[in-house]
Amino acid sequence: MMLAKLVETRTVRTLGAPRSARTRIITLVSIAVALGIALALPYLGTTAYVISLVTTILIAGLLAASVNFLVGDGGMASLGHAGIAAASAYGAAWASRQGMDPGMQVVFALGTTLVVTFVYGLLSMRTSGIYFLMVTLAVGMVVFGLAYRLSSVTGGENGITGIRRPDFIAEYWTFYYFVLAGFVLGTLLLWVVGRSPFGASLRGIRDSESRMRSLGYSVPSYKLSAFMISGIVAGFAGLLSVWHTHFVSPSAAGVHRSVLLIVMVILGGVGTTFGPLVGAAIVVLVENVLSNSVERWPTVLGLIFILVILFARAGVVGSLQKLFRRWRRRSDGPPGEQDLLENSPTTDSSHTA
Amino acid sequence: MKSMKTSAPVRRAGAAALGVAAVLALAACAPPGAAQPSEAPTEGETATGTLKVGYISPITGNFAIAGQEMVDGWNLYWEVNGNEVNGVTVETIVEDDAGNPETSLTKAKKLVESDGVDVVIGPLLANTALAVAAYTSSVGIPSLQPVAAADDLTQRQANDLTVRTGSQSGSQTNFPGGQWAAGEGHKTAVTLCPDYAFGWESCAGFKQGFESEGGEVVAQYWFPNGTSDFSTYVSQIQAAGADIAFVATAGGAPGPDFLRSFLGLGLGGSQELLMNCCGMDQATLRALGPEIEGFKSVSYWAEGRDSDAVREFSEAYGEAYEGKLPSANVAGGYMTASLVAAVLDENGLVTGEELVSAITEYTFEDSIFGRVSWDEFNNTVGPVYIREVQEVDGKWVNVPIETFEDVDQWLGKDPEEAMQQPTYSQSFQG
Repeated sequence: MMLAKLVETRTVRTLGAPRSARTRIITLVSIAVALGIALALPYLGTTAYVISLVTTILIAGLLAASVNFLVGDGGMASLGHAGIAAASAYGAAWASRQGMDPGMQVVFALGTTLVVTFVYGLLSMRTSGIYFLMVTLAVGMVVFGLAYRLSSVTGGENGITGIRRPDFIAEYWTFYYFVLAGFVLGTLLLWVVGRSPFGASLRGIRDSESRMRSLGYSVPSYKLSAFMISGIVAGFAGLLSVWHTHFVSPSAAGVHRSVLLIVMVILGGVGTTFGPLVGAAIVVLVENVLSNSVERWPTVLGLIFILVILFARAGVVGSLQKLFRRWRRRSDGPPGEQDLLENSPTTDSSHTA
Repeated sequence: MKSMKTSAPVRRAGAAALGVAAVLALAACAPPGAAQPSEAPTEGETATGTLKVGYISPITGNFAIAGQEMVDGWNLYWEVNGNEVNGVTVETIVEDDAGNPETSLTKAKKLVESDGVDVVIGPLLANTALAVAAYTSSVGIPSLQPVAAADDLTQRQANDLTVRTGSQSGSQTNFPGGQWAAGEGHKTAVTLCPDYAFGWESCAGFKQGFESEGGEVVAQYWFPNGTSDFSTYVSQIQAAGADIAFVATAGGAPGPDFLRSFLGLGLGGSQELLMNCCGMDQATLRALGPEIEGFKSVSYWAEGRDSDAVREFSEAYGEAYEGKLPSANVAGGYMTASLVAAVLDENGLVTGEELVSAITEYTFEDSIFGRVSWDEFNNTVGPVYIREVQEVDGKWVNVPIETFEDVDQWLGKDPEEAMQQPTYSQSFQG
């Protein structure tokens, strides 16, 4: 059923205005520069602490990206994604506590992720808007409750410590590269899915569920599939985080964490590719670095959030993109080719020729 | 230019895959220059004669009050006695973890790897403490625990470098409470504890103590964290009709909230009650003092104990904090500071394993808790007091009326046997 739909949707165009060649090159170059810096980071005389901090940001960024995919493309704000990541982490942690090797940890992490995500998806696929929010919040609380109360399996509030990661990424810097690769792959996966016909249909559902339904789309199955994709990325982030900290406790599944993920997404810019990373960087740095010198750091985080909501609705990355576009339009003087293209989606095919 | 546009996703995916391959190749062949950071912090300490301490505590968030008290206790000792002992200067860096284990870990890494501390003290909550202790032991840095009460910290998850210095474990403190209650001639008991690890451990301790002396626990009730209306629980206690009720809280508002319901429903005169350390701490006494005169509780800390160490501590704290008396959290911080000072005084500068063994081989004769020593799992072995609320010099204090000396964490069992049990929960109370 889904496959047939995928073929049909190839003609649907909801990708928005095509970007000009120059914008595209600038984007690619900045991605390459950022990746280059990230790759060289351990060689630039940074300490293990800094690398570990960047690792934390990348993992949080990947988790936020999985939330961003659902909100941005599907219009589904999940308040329970920390629960999925935590379920994956608990899967790996439990396997590790039973003395299994890291390979089995991955299997268990994947297993719990799939089961939990499927439950999330099944319960929430017929809802949208505030109801979706409430259902994901509720399932997240169930995961938290299980982690908290099922102490024979999860260690209760004490959590599970001493989880070992595979030997080949035991060093902090090899693990950093592993996480970086995982982040790039995860982001790429979400990017490709977002640009695919499937992503287009998802945006169609976001914009008008009733219209998509009347066109013959099975809205719930699209939502379920989107949730599964997002959940798998979240589960992967959960596995990375438990390998990073060697530790998991119920607070990893708490509402607080899920809310922070939404905050990251909004700070960075809903629906942007790199917004979640920027948002994660802001939150993690305020939480871990600013708090060294500023006692009232939660207030600072709140202020940043309010300022972004007031003056940069589209988030840091989204607003920068807007600003950049406006600046280019102005600096180009008389409306040139790019400007025309940007304002007229229909001329898309003409400029590639 | 043209090609870049026509096949964007595929081409880009290919390029990224190439990038990833390059990363892996790079990572495989060349270890970065920063391969030696783990040994860097341990150098240069003997030369300077400074003991660098990293102190982690939740100074913001839900546990801010307890966290701040834990820091106050530590700072108070050094303010009163000066931060130089036997030629060793004690330098403290305080970090806030907001009660979040991940932040706790990052802070611990920062303290060890960036600041090069010799010892990490804290944090407060059980899960944060276990996470930090596992990390510090993996990098060879001692971890001292002033407040965290989790049994597992010195049992199933014990390690050579982690020492509980300023408290006892959850079940350990309440075991003598049960013994005392049975010794007073009570045959049946009902318990009410918070519904998470600390509560399960506290109630398990009481229950095992009570039953070891021939008593019977007829009903156990659990309240979720965040409960503020205790009237239903008080009714259940009343309905249970047991000779004595044991009620534990983790400190903060639940203590006074429970007692208000308890008194409000008129049980104050008819139902025998024993509370734990934190349900009947100074915060409760300040709120309800006159109404709870004569109420009893069990704890390793008794601010009304007649001893020079306690008096000196209480006076110093009162001077610094508007005449208040210190709670168990303050005492934990102060106790840890005085212990570090005592050990430095005896041995000069010791770090790493030497610091740990100096502490665990030490017997602290006249500490604010009484005579305290350490077992082979680095847990405190010391007195537990049955305390009664009395008015002393216009202040309401917990005065010890009975003392159980040298209480260890094994509840009368063999260590091996104790650690093979499941962890305590609603369904397993030992």
